[in-house]
Amino acid sequence: MPNYTLTARTPLDGFSHDFNGVSVTEVNGRSIVSIATSLGGGEALSKALAKTYKLKIPEPGKSTVSSLDNAVLLGMAQDQTFLVFDDHTEDKPVDVVSKHLKDTAYFTDQSDSYVMLRVSGENSRSVLERICPIDLHPSVFPEGSVSRTIMEHLGTVIVHEKANTFLLMSARSSAKSFLEAVEVSALNIG
Amino acid sequence: MSQINRIEGGLINRSKKLSFTFNGQSLEGYEGDTLASALLANGHRMVGRSFKYHRPRGIFSAGSEEPNALVQLRTGAYQEPNTRATVTELFHGLEATSQNHRGSLKYDFMAVNDLFSSFLSAGFYYKTFMWPKAFWEKFYEPVIRAAAGLGRLSGQDDPDIYDKGFLHCDVLVVGAGAAGLSAALSAGRAGARVILMDEDFCMGGRLNVETLSVNDQSGSEWATQALAELSAMDNVRLMTRTTAYGAYDHGIVGALERVTDHLISSENKPRQILWRVYTKRTILCAGATERPIAFGNNDRPGVMLAGAVRAYVNRWGALPGKRVAVFTNNDDGWRTATDLAAKGVEITAVIDSRDGQPPVDVPKGAAIVMGGRIVDTKGRHGIRSITLSNGQQIPVDCLAVSGGWSPNVQLTCHQRGRPTWRDDIAAFVPGGELPQGMSVAGAASGNLSLSSVLLNGHDIGNSVVSDLGFTPSKVKASSSEEETTGISAFWHVRESKARAWLDLQNDVTVKDVKLSHQEGFRSVEHLKRYTTLGMATDQGKTANIPALAVMAECTGKSLPETGTTIFRPPYTPVAIGALAGRARGKDFRPSRLSPSHSWAKEQGAIFVEAGMWYRAQWFPRSGETHWRQSVDREVTQTRASVGVCDVTTLGKIDVQGRDAAQFLNKVYANAFAKLPVGKVRYGIMLREDGIMMDDGTSARFAENHFVMTTTTANAVSVFRHMEFCRQCLWPEMDVHLISSTEQYAQFAVAGPNARKLLQKVVDSDHDISNEAFPFMGCGEITVCGGVPTRLFRISFSGELAYEIAVPTRYGDSLVRTLIAAGEEFDVTPYGTEALGVMRIEKGHAAGNELNGQTTARDLGMGRMVSKKKDSIGNTLSEREGLNLENGLSLVGFRPVNRSEELKAGFHFISKGNTANMANDEGWMSSVAFSPNLGHSIGLGFIKRGSERLGEIVIATDPLRGGEMDVEIVSAHFIDPEGERLRA
Amino acid sequence: MIINHPLLGPRDAAEFVYKGDASLINRPNWQADDAAELFHEYLYLRDNPAGQHRELWYHEQGDRSWLIVTRNTLTHEISNVEFARDVALAERPKK
Repeated sequence: MPNYTLTARTPLDGFSHDFNGVSVTEVNGRSIVSIATSLGGGEALSKALAKTYKLKIPEPGKSTVSSLDNAVLLGMAQDQTFLVFDDHTEDKPVDVVSKHLKDTAYFTDQSDSYVMLRVSGENSRSVLERICPIDLHPSVFPEGSVSRTIMEHLGTVIVHEKANTFLLMSARSSAKSFLEAVEVSALNIG
Repeated sequence: MSQINRIEGGLINRSKKLSFTFNGQSLEGYEGDTLASALLANGHRMVGRSFKYHRPRGIFSAGSEEPNALVQLRTGAYQEPNTRATVTELFHGLEATSQNHRGSLKYDFMAVNDLFSSFLSAGFYYKTFMWPKAFWEKFYEPVIRAAAGLGRLSGQDDPDIYDKGFLHCDVLVVGAGAAGLSAALSAGRAGARVILMDEDFCMGGRLNVETLSVNDQSGSEWATQALAELSAMDNVRLMTRTTAYGAYDHGIVGALERVTDHLISSENKPRQILWRVYTKRTILCAGATERPIAFGNNDRPGVMLAGAVRAYVNRWGALPGKRVAVFTNNDDGWRTATDLAAKGVEITAVIDSRDGQPPVDVPKGAAIVMGGRIVDTKGRHGIRSITLSNGQQIPVDCLAVSGGWSPNVQLTCHQRGRPTWRDDIAAFVPGGELPQGMSVAGAASGNLSLSSVLLNGHDIGNSVVSDLGFTPSKVKASSSEEETTGISAFWHVRESKARAWLDLQNDVTVKDVKLSHQEGFRSVEHLKRYTTLGMATDQGKTANIPALAVMAECTGKSLPETGTTIFRPPYTPVAIGALAGRARGKDFRPSRLSPSHSWAKEQGAIFVEAGMWYRAQWFPRSGETHWRQSVDREVTQTRASVGVCDVTTLGKIDVQGRDAAQFLNKVYANAFAKLPVGKVRYGIMLREDGIMMDDGTSARFAENHFVMTTTTANAVSVFRHMEFCRQCLWPEMDVHLISSTEQYAQFAVAGPNARKLLQKVVDSDHDISNEAFPFMGCGEITVCGGVPTRLFRISFSGELAYEIAVPTRYGDSLVRTLIAAGEEFDVTPYGTEALGVMRIEKGHAAGNELNGQTTARDLGMGRMVSKKKDSIGNTLSEREGLNLENGLSLVGFRPVNRSEELKAGFHFISKGNTANMANDEGWMSSVAFSPNLGHSIGLGFIKRGSERLGEIVIATDPLRGGEMDVEIVSAHFIDPEGERLRA
Repeated sequence: MIINHPLLGPRDAAEFVYKGDASLINRPNWQADDAAELFHEYLYLRDNPAGQHRELWYHEQGDRSWLIVTRNTLTHEISNVEFARDVALAERPKK
């Protein structure tokens, strides 16, 4: 065996800060696997998901939650979902998912593709309205809603996890710029 | 100094005194004052000099339409010119100065312009400065520049911060006067999500300045109560100091919120916020703007709009004058006389252009002149008397003028709606096609009595929400007493011999409009450009309609036939800083950092921006003083032993599906279907027109799974193109694409010792020997005790080389490990410069060669384009024009005199020919100094290049100068047989 | 500008990238006798209608779907938005 070991680094080295009425925290320890439905393979995937994760495939823009690995299935597009779940394996999240879902779909590891920030607190919507073009009002974007949009030139997935709590996922390489966009918004309000 | 013109009453907080300065003089006002009301309360009538003639000017209006009272606020870098005093909220410590004078405001040297006014008429610039031509640059322009403009910029960076944001609602109500409040109440009570915005800091609109009552309360009390009800609703958002400045496509409204302009310091909060409002419906309740009447010398300080005069008295307790006359063509003008008389102000005269009886009770002691005309005024620094057409002179220190009210239709026209004329109110009202989702209520729609405004706002609010599916509340509309609103159009006093101003901001007079008509300017748009009427900060809010009326008179057409100029956003000025928002300096765009960025920074790397990416360009070592020293060393060390380069920025696309191989076969011009698992192939992508789009490699990890790389620059556009192919061209294929650029940290490890270095980190159960892992092999392995890794045996440098990819989280650690493990081989990190040198030495094409003009054939890869299959671009790549016998081909170049330095951008001319366009045979696309060959080398395109090896041609650079003889050689300067990369 | 996405509802144009005329989904047969001519027409010849125009938009900062948007070039009104994939499949000649 080599004499070297590699250590993992998170995109923002575990950033967490409380601003006025809003907390911004880097989320780590979660794996993300893209699940692409094969042509005509929707039913097999549905069955496999129902059997193992007890999950329904969400419509695009919605999400469903499983107790297995605290998994959340995000509806990204007509034939694509993201399974976000607790990371407790040796860097092989695709193997975990394939173990459960066999070859009912195409899996791609996206765990290192994103920085995840949780924005929570009473002012979270006021902060986000400075950068997020989509309507986050609970009547339009209720809990469990998912959307991919653009914030400060950066593609971003936003998930309404629970009241006044939003999960943001944006490209890892621009994590610092993305954090700055959120931080500046948090500093700029009221 | 006491506030000599302050009287009782108004909506100011007298318990809160505010100190401010005007031209250095210390003054006092109250909370709730504007700068204009405070100046008037302090007896200041003259506040600036006019644009062209430097005439003394005073406060003219009480709102955002102000053409005259433009002042400079604050000092130093915070200095802001051309700010309207009438909408500047007073704060403690405000510093204001007047503009556009040399010397003091009272004694302006530039006032000499007024004496030469006959030379400064419409089109004066066009006429005067035409001749002699040579005078323009040296004389005319500097003089004009020095004289032009009103205020001055600080010349420093704007120290304030700005922000922007997005708002969503069902109903946006623009304007919080009687109509807006009524509409917002209707919409809010029905449960719709409502945003109510108003440019003022105190909502209520003219309810705050009139003495009319609503539901037996004063107008302002009713407004306060309505606002209390609205602010208690969760579904209603109230935004003061916010101007809806533009109506855009599909119902989007732009709004500017002035967050801290009323504070002495922004305290690190955004000064202004630019909001993009997404709303299902907009109710425009923007009110109306009063117009003046033009007569001789009607521009003196103290000549004001009648509605403004009573606004200052009623809302601010500030008296614009002590002996006030009124000149009106309508009933509303009389209200100024009665309101002021009720406050004990002396009304010297009411002159009504209409014949007949006074419409209201005459204020005591006032001379009433029905069918009257004012022909002239007197008073050097402010009005002292008026002269009537019968010669009678009446002493006044304030003249309140009303030419009627124009609905504020601007936003209704931003999507090319055209207003229509209503004779009964002598005004344009919204017409044509309104912006999507917009309704208009209140005075903005031509309802000019308070009772009709309240009812109209209420009804439109209800109809808009029921249209959206809400149930309107049963609450009835509020009501007000009846009032008379009669008007008879009257625009200017023909009997006036003196200049009569139409546009106070641009110094445009009745004479100028007549002159431009005489000179043939018949369209209102031409009139505007020729005279500058309606331009600048006020956009002619008070000037346009009277000027159009004068023009209509000249042409003999009616006003509606004459039409208006097109209204465009913004309604009121928006600072460029607000439009820029946060996008300044380093925040202009995001930056993408590669996984080795922190490490590279520690090494002192010099970075280059490649799109949003920051890439290490070279890594200087101590003692290296010139970039070439570092780059030469990196190349030499890599070719001699081993180097490591971060190539994470290359686009990576994960391609999976039963038809993945077939799909790649269609998007690449060369064959991919039969690529074995565990192999990588170089691929070229064409555009449908046959031109090269991109190149890269694709590795087959499983039967149905490929990993593609693209160039850094084209990562996004190639992905987009492939999605287009997948969804639109071949939707029956089972194939999926997802970007994995961000997922892997990828490093090139190149050089004769590359394998030895990698063997130190690769886990022992993976064999990467030349036999087990040959050139163009790929595989999934593990490194450093189990970290999942993708390994590719590909080479851009021409050396024995690999690209190693680990999950991004390990990227930082991997580069440190490779450098540490490579110490025994004298490993070097190398940057994009060394990468470029090595690929040029090897003759590999890159972005400079794939410039959107070149074909695979030009690049010497014509035979790769398969004719046996359908793929993007293959058919049109066969076009005659792309396959000419004397077409370009990519070759190498070296200077005949080896000590000379080649330049990218050189053009090639055959020996003996003149260097001109006709003889141009191609260009140099990439150059480098080759440390291995010891001289400058280049890649370039030249006609029939591959047949001309050994020929000497002229390389010339007519743009920057320079010419030399160069020899055409093979593009493969190093290891042409490719022995190194297969070692 | 707002595009009403068939699944995701109204979205700002900032999320989209424009490509061109919707006829670009009808790529000619490379084996036709006059393939060169057909590809030339496909790539270069466009109508420029004053009125209804079907055009391709890519929801790059969204669900990555290609859409066919029917937009009136005179009024800017968008009257229909469809998934280009659905249209392409429906327009395929039946086997």
